[in-house]
Amino acid sequence: MKSKYIKSLLGTALVSVFFMGCSSDILTENPRNFYTPGYFQTKAGILGGVTALYANLRNLNGQAYYFNSCETGTDEATWGQSADGNFTSMDYSGAATFNSATSPIGILWSTVYSNINTANGIIENALIVNASKKGTADTIPGSLITEANFMRAYDYFLLVQRYGGVPLDLGSGILKFNTNPSRTSVRNTVPEVYTKCIFPDLLTAVNTLPVTQRFTGTVTKQVAQLLLAKAYLTYAWWLQNPNNIPTYPLCDRTDPNGKDAAWYFQQAYNLATTVIANPGSYALQATYYDVNVGSNDRNKEMMLYADHTQLSQQYNGGSLTSGSAAAPDNFAGWMLTWNYPTITSSGDGGATYKISSVLRVSTQDLGRPWVRMAPPIGVFTNTFADKTNDSRYDGTFTTVYHANWPLGGTVTATSLVNANGMSVVPGAPILSFLSTDDPSIVYPPAYPDPLAPGKSSVGAGTMPGRADYVVGPSAISRIIYPGLWKLGPYRTDNGTGIGNPNAGSTRPFPILKFSELFFIAAEAAVKGATVTSVSGTYANDGTAKGLINIIRARAGKWRYSNAQNAVVVADNSAAMVAATPATIDINYILAERSREFYGEGYRIFDLRRTQTWANVAGTYQICGVKFGDRTVQTVTRTILPANYLDPIPQAQIDGMDMTATEKAAYQNPGY
Amino acid sequence: MKIKNQIKPFWLFLIFLVFPLLGFAQTITVRGIVKDATGETLIGVSVKVVGTTGGSITDLAGAYEIKAPENSKITFSYVGYQTQLVDVNGRSTINVTLKDEDKSLNEVIVVGYGTQRKEAVTGSVASVNGSVLKEIPAGNITQALQGRLAGVDLEQNDTKPGATLQIRIRGTRSLTADNNPLIVLDGIPFSGSISDISPDDIKSVDILKDASATAIYGSRGSNGVILITTNKGVKGAVPQVSYSGYYGQGKAIYYPMMNGPEFVALRKASGRYTANGSDEANDVNTDWQSMFYTTAIVQSHDLNVSGGNEKGSYKFGANYYTNQAVIPGQNYTRYAIRGSIDQEIGKYIRVGFTSNTNFNVTNGASLGVGNVLSQSPIANPYNTDGTLKRFVQMPLDQGFVLTKDRIENLGDTWKDQKKALGSYNSFYAEIKIPGVEGLKYRTNIGANFNFSNAGTYTGVGVMNATATAASSASVVNSYTTDWAIENMLTYDRSFGKHRVNAVAMYSAEQNFNNYSTISAINIPTDNLQFYNIGQANASDITVNPGKDANFVPYQGYSVWGLESLMGRVMYSYDDRYMISGTVRSDGSSRLAPGYQWHTYPAVSVGWNMNKESFMKDITWIDALKLRAGYGQTSNQSVATYSTLGSLNTAPYNFGTTYSTGFNVNTVPNSKLGWEYSYTYNFAADFSLLKNRLSGTVEYYITDTKDLLMNVNLPSTSGVSSYTANVGSTQNKGLEISLNGVILDNLNGWTWEVGANVYKNVNKITALASGADQDINNGWFKGKSINSIYDYKKIGLWNTTDADYKYFSTLEPGKTSTVGMIKIQYTGTYKADGTPTRAIGPDDRQVMNLDADFQGGFNTRVAYKGFDLAVVGGFQSGGILVSTLYGSASYLNLMTGRRGNVNVDYWTTTNTNALYPNPAGPLSGDNPLYGSTLGYFDASYLKIRTITLGYNFKQKWLKFAGIEKLRLYGTVQNPFILFSAYHNQSGMDPETNSYGNQNQAVNSYNSRTLVIGTNTPSTHSYLMGINVTF
Repeated sequence: MKSKYIKSLLGTALVSVFFMGCSSDILTENPRNFYTPGYFQTKAGILGGVTALYANLRNLNGQAYYFNSCETGTDEATWGQSADGNFTSMDYSGAATFNSATSPIGILWSTVYSNINTANGIIENALIVNASKKGTADTIPGSLITEANFMRAYDYFLLVQRYGGVPLDLGSGILKFNTNPSRTSVRNTVPEVYTKCIFPDLLTAVNTLPVTQRFTGTVTKQVAQLLLAKAYLTYAWWLQNPNNIPTYPLCDRTDPNGKDAAWYFQQAYNLATTVIANPGSYALQATYYDVNVGSNDRNKEMMLYADHTQLSQQYNGGSLTSGSAAAPDNFAGWMLTWNYPTITSSGDGGATYKISSVLRVSTQDLGRPWVRMAPPIGVFTNTFADKTNDSRYDGTFTTVYHANWPLGGTVTATSLVNANGMSVVPGAPILSFLSTDDPSIVYPPAYPDPLAPGKSSVGAGTMPGRADYVVGPSAISRIIYPGLWKLGPYRTDNGTGIGNPNAGSTRPFPILKFSELFFIAAEAAVKGATVTSVSGTYANDGTAKGLINIIRARAGKWRYSNAQNAVVVADNSAAMVAATPATIDINYILAERSREFYGEGYRIFDLRRTQTWANVAGTYQICGVKFGDRTVQTVTRTILPANYLDPIPQAQIDGMDMTATEKAAYQNPGY
Repeated sequence: MKIKNQIKPFWLFLIFLVFPLLGFAQTITVRGIVKDATGETLIGVSVKVVGTTGGSITDLAGAYEIKAPENSKITFSYVGYQTQLVDVNGRSTINVTLKDEDKSLNEVIVVGYGTQRKEAVTGSVASVNGSVLKEIPAGNITQALQGRLAGVDLEQNDTKPGATLQIRIRGTRSLTADNNPLIVLDGIPFSGSISDISPDDIKSVDILKDASATAIYGSRGSNGVILITTNKGVKGAVPQVSYSGYYGQGKAIYYPMMNGPEFVALRKASGRYTANGSDEANDVNTDWQSMFYTTAIVQSHDLNVSGGNEKGSYKFGANYYTNQAVIPGQNYTRYAIRGSIDQEIGKYIRVGFTSNTNFNVTNGASLGVGNVLSQSPIANPYNTDGTLKRFVQMPLDQGFVLTKDRIENLGDTWKDQKKALGSYNSFYAEIKIPGVEGLKYRTNIGANFNFSNAGTYTGVGVMNATATAASSASVVNSYTTDWAIENMLTYDRSFGKHRVNAVAMYSAEQNFNNYSTISAINIPTDNLQFYNIGQANASDITVNPGKDANFVPYQGYSVWGLESLMGRVMYSYDDRYMISGTVRSDGSSRLAPGYQWHTYPAVSVGWNMNKESFMKDITWIDALKLRAGYGQTSNQSVATYSTLGSLNTAPYNFGTTYSTGFNVNTVPNSKLGWEYSYTYNFAADFSLLKNRLSGTVEYYITDTKDLLMNVNLPSTSGVSSYTANVGSTQNKGLEISLNGVILDNLNGWTWEVGANVYKNVNKITALASGADQDINNGWFKGKSINSIYDYKKIGLWNTTDADYKYFSTLEPGKTSTVGMIKIQYTGTYKADGTPTRAIGPDDRQVMNLDADFQGGFNTRVAYKGFDLAVVGGFQSGGILVSTLYGSASYLNLMTGRRGNVNVDYWTTTNTNALYPNPAGPLSGDNPLYGSTLGYFDASYLKIRTITLGYNFKQKWLKFAGIEKLRLYGTVQNPFILFSAYHNQSGMDPETNSYGNQNQAVNSYNSRTLVIGTNTPSTHSYLMGINVTF
């Protein structure tokens, strides 16, 4: 009885198990923790795609190695004491080999194509969604789709400036959304990239984008006008080619639209002055300090930026406490920051000067020091020669390092002994970079004397009667130089401590500014555009000088001094305008651009566009890599015409499934 | 009262049940002595009358006494000996000599869904029995198997407690799909970690190596199959209780860092840091490692109860294993219980159940030695008042002071703990089909369950030079279920000289996994740790929808299934000619619809030559078998959902408006299908000189086609990758295993020796779309998968070098010249012998990491109760990557910036040094071409363990009720010979990390095993005891 019961039970179990096993839905997949590409064909997916385009701005803007590729090798920066091959190779001075495997030149290339494809997908899929959802709430407004046009043009504009002609077909056709695993590529020519993509996309954007932002920092009609003006200007230079710089892939310097360089210079002028006259919600800030001070981020002058936040680690995209030194972190500012916490003061003025009086703190003047890049001496003696009237020197650099040791909580002394055995209190200057060299500076013995670091430990000098250490401009070296205040961190959660100095900056990284419109119009005017007077808030005669003087007048206005760490109200506008030369030429515009946009990643584009790179940045001067090395070295760069185009990154060449000949033809000449 | 009444009928029932047995035949008393083949009496032999429940055991004199019916049968069983069945036939004295368990070709081998006499096996199967594994006391069987089996390469990829070794059977086949073998525990595919199985439970391990053997496991067996059989109770055995345990201590093998004076000299030679950091002084000599390490402790305790009756058997056991690493706060503890029951029901049905459940706790897995090693040896860790500094200031870096005391006093401010519960259960029912002899139906049902909770908490400023560094916490909860069902018909029968064994099967399995990750910063108090992350401010909490830097999702979900139909026939004629044929059809959920199913065949043949008449006269050959096999297997081990494509998440803030973006990361591949391997296997098994020398020689070729690969696309495609069937690889190899009995109980001495040596040649034969190389992934056509691509150091530049005149051509722009690393130039030369270009990326070369050959050896000497066993391993050729000496771990910067490995560097008076001039040029923070300093000849010969044991056979055992007692002591890692790396560093020449782990900058592909800054290896001493009651 019992065994019979067990048998039948077992039999039932076996039969049911067999059928359970037979169900074939165990071979069907249904992912539940991520989206498949199909989601990209819904309204929510497309909205997400547009957000991704903004998020991807962070992969370049604030990414220090990309920043390095835009600055090192120009008159604004060379490699610093802690530089590795990523930086020495970009200096074109033979410090390291520069070739297609040099990693910084690959960052732009490896970042933007996926972005371009996302934009392609948005533009393509939005049409499909709108066709199928016609008349419902699930359609996508054209202005939103056009944000993708803007981003695609922005990416192609970067590419065409760095590499020459680039592919418009990613594998599924010209400007088509690619879902094919394509392992071949064909490059278009420079005029094709401009006339088939950049100009049409930006014209669509100018016509369709709203004049007010959808969210904080989203693009508008005016942003598109600014970028289009910049693209016209750049293309006009390319058509004109005054210094006979080669292009690639080879093509005639004729415009498929049948226009000439002068026409494009005029378009650039017209568009820029139009926005200056009709700025919408954008405006110049009252002072230069206001443009860059962290408490005033996302101001009306900032037209496009890669945003960050200290309020949410998740949406910041990177840790709020310790930087990853990789995108999407904003860590560009670390590169041009010297190792200021090395400065030492003394507790009692005795023999030992071992107390760090300037701690690493997440404030705009300090931040994390990586010493990978350094400004050549010419930045201080030429570009920023005027340090008194022009507030931009003070609004760009940290020139005075102030005592902050109590923030560390370990040194409890209320005062320390600093230079000349003099006492300093928290907030007092500990080390100052002077405006000019002064014969009364007493430096410690020069390197390689073992005493070269001196009491300051950084080889700084002293001046009679001053409690702070001092460094003259001619002593600026690869290891000690004014920090880049502009890009320094700003946080409101430091409390009474040092905050999070090792985190990436939680500030937005600037990309496009309202002020650039004045430079674009002025440059176009210098290149022969017919000028007309500009009305509105920024009324001027529309000449290069008139436009530039708006910027220079603003630069003369002070409301705060970083060096003094105090409110300083002054208006030196008149002196600034008076100092403007009667005739503005390209070199003056370039110098003025450097004063306005120093260390923001503009420089390599400016020098290549104007074909002045080798002239402006061919040599530079700086002292060596040791504290106390005050021997000014003149370094010569070898910038060949072929260098005006970056090599196509080796990873692209390696990744393509093409013959060696085809691959060689894909590469830019000279590499 | 009531209870008693209920019990009474039960007893009556029992008496009635037993009574018939008692009253059947005339019962007599049988006595006798049981001896072994050497004439020694055996104590504790189980003596039982067949068909009864009672029994007896032999006493100290080997004598027994038992009451038995005149016409009954008596069994004599003893561990290590063949069980003997004797007819009583009315005799009252029966003396018995038990034979040793036969270790010849007649052993039974588990071949997957059945067993086979070793003599008849035609595929490539390597076996190890549990007693051999126990010669190496280890936390899991991978360590015990290392070096035991030809063609089974067990490489260390982690040295933390509880870690298992990476297993590669006959090389690496797949470029991006899984290369791990399938583990089958008691017949059911095992989804857990191999460390979940206590080695003490294991009866045998059988490894299926070639396709004809693995075909029966189909797609899951393409990388080989490890069949683990655990001990079960013995039917009809008297209840036995056994205990085995060991305790050991280990000391860290120190990383070879410079001491104070050496470091001062290096910093001076480098000239880069002229001023010491504020905590440094040239007369300080701090040994950071000795302040950090503790004594490693390992202990294991296993208690088992087993027994059986006429119709069934059982075994239950419990295991406790714990291992404290030399890093304080880093330990692993496992509690396991295990049970198995087999029961016959009536004449035709047999059912059984096995359950393995374990709970384990891992603490401090994130602790490493990198930070400790990078501390300057001239930095003083103490304040003037004797307390520990929070950090020491070196010239550039601040190093958090991490010592044993500090870790032990962290209290609530730090926690890194993973708790996991795994339960692996299988049930079977077997029905003999009445009327057809040899036909059986069997169903196996497996149900596994895994739960883990892993959390970390770091308080404010803990493990950080910055005292105010924010606190952080994260927690990962993971849940896995896994079921498998197999329905099988087997037919096993002999007809005269013909033997047939046939199996037909349908199986299905499905695996489900889900895990979630939450993290936050600024946890309000230390007391909360990671137990309520919700207490942090909402803006500080992250539930990341995307993937980490290694593309591992933070929130995981996967379900995969596999359905299979299979048939196998094994036939032998006269035990001379054998053939085995298998066909299996697999359907996988991971592949694209329309490409999910594939059918593949395998066949193998064997010929026992020694049974032929022409071999009769060759008496020195006891057995000689030739085998050949061909088979196809496949691999579907790509990540789930690989065919579908995926969107990446891109979180962004528009000011304070938060939004999550998406972009296409992987494109779909609607044609993703199977990866196939075709294997040819040729082998000879032999046993010579009265079985004193036996062995196997095997040769194989495995071609793997349509490799499942994550193909990285060029940037211009706009998408980063897709998974596709591209490329092919080949593995060719030769394996030789030999076992010899040198002394066979000669005056009480026995000496056995075993050795194996094998060579595997791996080659990529094709890459995606005919490409010759894929530099980004490190794949090169015609080269091994295990290659590195780097410059080749050929020495250091000296002005006296003949080629020094070319220095400025080869290394333009370098100012510090002498003593710099000299790289092999691979370019062309001008007519006058001048190189045409500078050293550059084109000079990078593909260098093969694989060993020329490798293997293991073991020897065992026994005399009376004593036995001494030595197990070792060796490798010849190949490249060992040590990130310590290379540029990845930042421990050989040679600038005096931070702690440095002790290297023999170039100076003007030491121009013949191995390492460059510290004042020479840098690339980044390391010496230029510094990565080339991390490559060493990987050859070594190593004694892994020496065990001295003693088996008690004294008379007092009997009085203590002890059946068996063994004591032993083991030394682990005692000797390393012929190792260039050991000679230079004093370290273990075996790897300890994946290529993307335990370095300051993770620099290698994860598949490249390297030496990193993982938990140090140890020299350990263990004492153990095995006792059976």
